Amino acid sequence: MIDIATLTTILGMAMVTYLTRALGFLLLRNRTLGPQLTQVLDAAPGCVLIAVIAPKFVSGHPADLIALALTVYAASRYSILPVVLFAIVVTGALRTLLP
Amino acid sequence: MNALDPVLNTAPDNELRRGALAAIPVLLGFVPFALVLGAQASQHQLGPGAVALMTGLNFGGGSEFAAIELWSSPPAILVIVAMTLLVNSRHLLMGATLAPYLRHLPLPKALGALFFMCDESWAMGLADARQRGRLSLRYFIGVALCLWVTWVGFTSLGALAGPMLGDLHGYGFDMAFAAVFLVLLRGMWKGVQAALPWLFSLITAALFYLLIPGGWYVLAGTVAGLVGAYLWARP
Repeated sequence: MIDIATLTTILGMAMVTYLTRALGFLLLRNRTLGPQLTQVLDAAPGCVLIAVIAPKFVSGHPADLIALALTVYAASRYSILPVVLFAIVVTGALRTLLP
Repeated sequence: MNALDPVLNTAPDNELRRGALAAIPVLLGFVPFALVLGAQASQHQLGPGAVALMTGLNFGGGSEFAAIELWSSPPAILVIVAMTLLVNSRHLLMGATLAPYLRHLPLPKALGALFFMCDESWAMGLADARQRGRLSLRYFIGVALCLWVTWVGFTSLGALAGPMLGDLHGYGFDMAFAAVFLVLLRGMWKGVQAALPWLFSLITAALFYLLIPGGWYVLAGTVAGLVGAYLWARP
């Protein structure tokens, strides 16, 4: 059984998370942005993506850093599935070789 | 339903399938990540039921890892909810970037679809919508539902299997997300000038990650990148 404190915490998490998902959309839904704000919003997806994976760039483990560099190179040329497979294999192999 | 979509010129069912197929590379990263989260939750006295409820209703991996990390018995409700809000604040911006591509949808459908917006479903949905000029709802749901079912299923499984799993971090599965995101970034590449805000975001996020404990780095990096974009924007 799930106790009441656990249930409350989970429902609280779910509520604030959905709020973050809906609010940005609701605020901009019926608005036309000026050119400057449009340029800012165009840059936003890339800024979010790179910030999420930023810890990988400063992990400090040689194996991870080499694997990341090779993954960046692969990502610049090949499509998503081969790059993902390559990244998993290379990272796993380098971590075994350079513990 | 064999009617062709007047805009996309494909049968709607194909769109669901196209989305599900597009989700496969992401699933490779999702499964081990989900097992690890479930296993960690079981070490904090959270059973499979509670894990399924959390990952099903919240559906945001980063915030769930943070919550489990902070979990005690009984849980500190306000601290965990506040941390969840912080970690997921990037959704505000993500929803905003999708807004222009959701205008053709009735509001309840758009709000329903947004429930399934995680980093990966958003990024793939947006990349597809930018090519087509609007979001294909069925494609998005195809991607997102695959991810959601996998996430909830394998986090629960991880909570059941618990300590039997051992250390999955030794393998390279965690690099799958970096790989997915890097390929998506390449798709958004419009030259060095346009990518300067990304560099701002990367440097700031990395510094925050190294120097400031807690989940601030995504928000800090994103904001720094946007400030850069605003400064460089040509009116």
